[in-house]
Amino acid sequence: MSVRDHGPVIQRTITRLHKTSEAELFQLKHRLDPVTGTILILVIGLVLRLWFLQIHKGYEFEERSRSNRVRELRIIAPRGSISDRQGRPLIATRPSFNVVWTREDAPNPDEVVKRLAPILHEDIALLLDRIREQSDNPSYMPMRLKEDIDWKTLVHIENNHYNLPGVRIEVVSARDYQYGDLASHLIGYLNEISPAELAKRPRGEYQGGDPIGKQGVEKILESELRGEPGAAMLEVDAHGFEKKQVATLEPNTGNDVQLTIDLDLQKAAEDALAGLAGAVVATEVNTGRILALASAPNLRLAEFIGGISKTSWKGMLDDPLRPLTNKAIQGQYPPASTYKIITALAGLNEGVITPETAFHCSGAMHFGNRDFKCWKKGGHGTISLRRAIAESCDVYFYQTGLRVGVDRLAGYAKSLGYGGKTGIMLEHEKGGLVPTSAWKLATYKDKWHEGETLSISIGQGFDLVTPLQVNRMMAAVANGGTLYQPQLVERIIRPGGEVAQAFTPVVQGKFKGSAGSLALVRDGLVAVVNSPGGTAGRVKIPGITVAGKTGTAQVVHRTTFESVQGDTPYLYRDHAWFTCYAPAERPLIAVTVLVEHGRHGGSAAGPVARKVLMKYFNIPDEAEEKAKAEKAAAEAAAASAGGD
Amino acid sequence: MFKFDRRLIFNFDLGLSIAILLVAAMGLTNLYSATYTPGGGIPALFMKQLYYYLFGFLMILVVVSFDYRVLISFNYPFYGAVVLLLVFALLFGDSIANTQRWIDLGVIRLQPSEPAKLAMVITMASYFSRKDTGQGFGFKELLIPMGLTVVPFLLILKQPDLGTALMMLVIFGSMALFVKIRWRTLVTLGVVGFSLIPIAWHYVLKPYQKNRVLTLFDPSIDPQGTGYHIAQSKIAVGSGLMFGKGFLRGTQAHLDFLPENHTDFAFSVWAEEWGFFGCLFFLACYCLMLLSALRIAAGARDKFGMLLAYGIVALLFWQAFINLAMIMGLLPVVGMPLPLFSYGGSSLLTNLIALGILINIGMRRFQSGN
Repeated sequence: MSVRDHGPVIQRTITRLHKTSEAELFQLKHRLDPVTGTILILVIGLVLRLWFLQIHKGYEFEERSRSNRVRELRIIAPRGSISDRQGRPLIATRPSFNVVWTREDAPNPDEVVKRLAPILHEDIALLLDRIREQSDNPSYMPMRLKEDIDWKTLVHIENNHYNLPGVRIEVVSARDYQYGDLASHLIGYLNEISPAELAKRPRGEYQGGDPIGKQGVEKILESELRGEPGAAMLEVDAHGFEKKQVATLEPNTGNDVQLTIDLDLQKAAEDALAGLAGAVVATEVNTGRILALASAPNLRLAEFIGGISKTSWKGMLDDPLRPLTNKAIQGQYPPASTYKIITALAGLNEGVITPETAFHCSGAMHFGNRDFKCWKKGGHGTISLRRAIAESCDVYFYQTGLRVGVDRLAGYAKSLGYGGKTGIMLEHEKGGLVPTSAWKLATYKDKWHEGETLSISIGQGFDLVTPLQVNRMMAAVANGGTLYQPQLVERIIRPGGEVAQAFTPVVQGKFKGSAGSLALVRDGLVAVVNSPGGTAGRVKIPGITVAGKTGTAQVVHRTTFESVQGDTPYLYRDHAWFTCYAPAERPLIAVTVLVEHGRHGGSAAGPVARKVLMKYFNIPDEAEEKAKAEKAAAEAAAASAGGD
Repeated sequence: MFKFDRRLIFNFDLGLSIAILLVAAMGLTNLYSATYTPGGGIPALFMKQLYYYLFGFLMILVVVSFDYRVLISFNYPFYGAVVLLLVFALLFGDSIANTQRWIDLGVIRLQPSEPAKLAMVITMASYFSRKDTGQGFGFKELLIPMGLTVVPFLLILKQPDLGTALMMLVIFGSMALFVKIRWRTLVTLGVVGFSLIPIAWHYVLKPYQKNRVLTLFDPSIDPQGTGYHIAQSKIAVGSGLMFGKGFLRGTQAHLDFLPENHTDFAFSVWAEEWGFFGCLFFLACYCLMLLSALRIAAGARDKFGMLLAYGIVALLFWQAFINLAMIMGLLPVVGMPLPLFSYGGSSLLTNLIALGILINIGMRRFQSGN
């Protein structure tokens, strides 16, 4: 192509260009070298930067790119069940659906909450409060906005998935309390882990919002019941929408816990205590297995689930029936006349009495400068061991106790497990109190007065015991003096059915006295129920010989309200005890009942124990039978009338 | 009349052509990945870019068929047309994301600020080629080129498109430095320029633009907002490691963590999927392209050709450098495409035509006169 081909304009231009001197062109050409240099230096700068990002810090960024896209959604393991000794579940587990929201996926909570509030039927402010509470969590961690939503809400949320960025449904296992509050003190309940509990746990084991056992077996066997949470690794896009499930780590279902409790017996015990405040303990005499452990009133579980409100907490604290206390293991009461068993054993073994030793009861015993009264105003006359136990003569035991002395008496009490915790697998057990002269000196800086020995000989004064302790003492008396640790858990079973751990009876001690002395006392205990004049005649069960001891524990000094028992305010009424075992010939079960402010052991506590025993021995309730028979008769009569 | 000169073919720059083809291949491959959605077939944007490429290569053939020296005559009409288009875009342009950058031409949408870059290069080359460069330029002689720069600068700034507007200044600066400015003038311009920075900061820059500058120094200022781009881009680049995650395997890009991953941030997808070595290969090809272009500049047979080739090198280099530095978190986020890589017809055609002009200059280096 020749320049001549172009028009005159270009011709002129080219002519002018041609005027560029070779020298100037040469000079300009050399200015290109620093240009090349500058470009290369800057490109090397970029290469260094790439090296820094991709090689030096590469793994850091790689990690961040991974956490950028993968969300770990925890799958809380199905919790193990808690069943009775026969494997009947006391509480079941069901899936529960929670609404969770991940901040990192959708940074603007207002928008999400605005859309979510009408679906959940919740206040916007309330949902924002929940977000604020959890705002310390890392942004990738899902926050719970609402627990346990129903199916309709669940479907609604799933259908609106694309309007709710960052919102997901989390499945957790929740408890189904099919028997209501049955054994609630024993079983406990689940709630969200508290920040304090979370801080105590190893990092990563729990996350905020995880359910955790708060009391009873749920708490103590938390690690067995909980199982191991799994996780779904979800790949999400920048808007938090799920792209695909990368991997799933299946959760390991928790182990089942089989208790020694018998569902029927527990129900019978709780039914018998209905409307009362008190406790029932029933154990196997020869193993220490607990068949029933009831404390009335039960915890009202419904008020605890999802966090207890201040008002209902205060209501429970102020309730005179004290529903928060597990009275079977935490209630400490004067043992009252049930303690006469100890006094009798101490007297026999220390040789201060024999079965034939007789004391005279005139209705009171003068000691020091006051009268120590017997509950029977007219007195028992001349009385020896068997009748003294059967009729619970106070004077007889004043005399015996006085001769044994406080410290020797304490030795026998302790050898039957008093004054220390039984070691039952439950929290906050109380140990009661067995006074000694040394104890009094240490505690009150005062020497022991013999008059106090009289009081403690009949289980008043400083003596304090729990129903569980009394029952263990009774079982030891029945089985020949072996003290078993109360056993609550029979076995722990893996999800496959394999036994992870089996519990066996644990012997904690042996009564220090002779077997003969125990036999003599047992003879008295049989008389309590079965002889005329025995204090617990109404406990008698056809076909089964029950042996037991009543007790009536003073709450305030007797003189204060003696004359007006009938009108004594509830809180000043005596506590009623009854502890027993059966069958007397070959003891299998020990039952102990305490009814707070129930007044008389025989009339208030005895019938409760009787109902439990009847259930245990499968003896139909006569009253029930009678009602049934009457009904049948009425029906028959109606039928025959109709036939005429 | 159209007599074909064999020497034109003989002087065809093979290195430059190979470099262009390699960069173009990488750019298209990467765009495929950046716009790919599983199960979505061949991405529509990829196809569009492919057509732009084909059209662009055709344009190169057209551009090389006439002597580059005609440009010196068509320079002012071209410049004037671009300025008119910029005004038109401001007045009647399509408003996208609160900016007035596009003119709808029915079939395609033209972004006049892209050809404006090339118009600036040609205008500067043409202006300075007529002046003697021996003594160095003083303030008075620079008044005209400065005026020619400020007009498109302000029009583009108004869109607003800070990156492209600054590119006008960068082209002027690169050209002026090359033709030599007197020391006193340079110092004066420098002082005035620096003293304008605080004024620009307070009165010209919009809050989001200030934020972009601030987050460069501390991306944690606003990790969900302005810092997001930088943070996500750095994660994408860094997580590529030595060899990359593989074609179509970039999680940052494909899970939408990376905004603008097919336009300004296209190279982060490349870095994530091809790793450090992939990036080195790209830089090597791009450098090959620039060095070939510099050789053409050095071999140009006249001042206009040399200045034009040099200006095109500056255009290609600065766009790439600013874009890459921004992606790697070294410069604030501004609108700046990576030539031949970023999606966009206006940018691609402008750069391909610029390359065509380069080839043209290279082909005609033997024609020293008639």
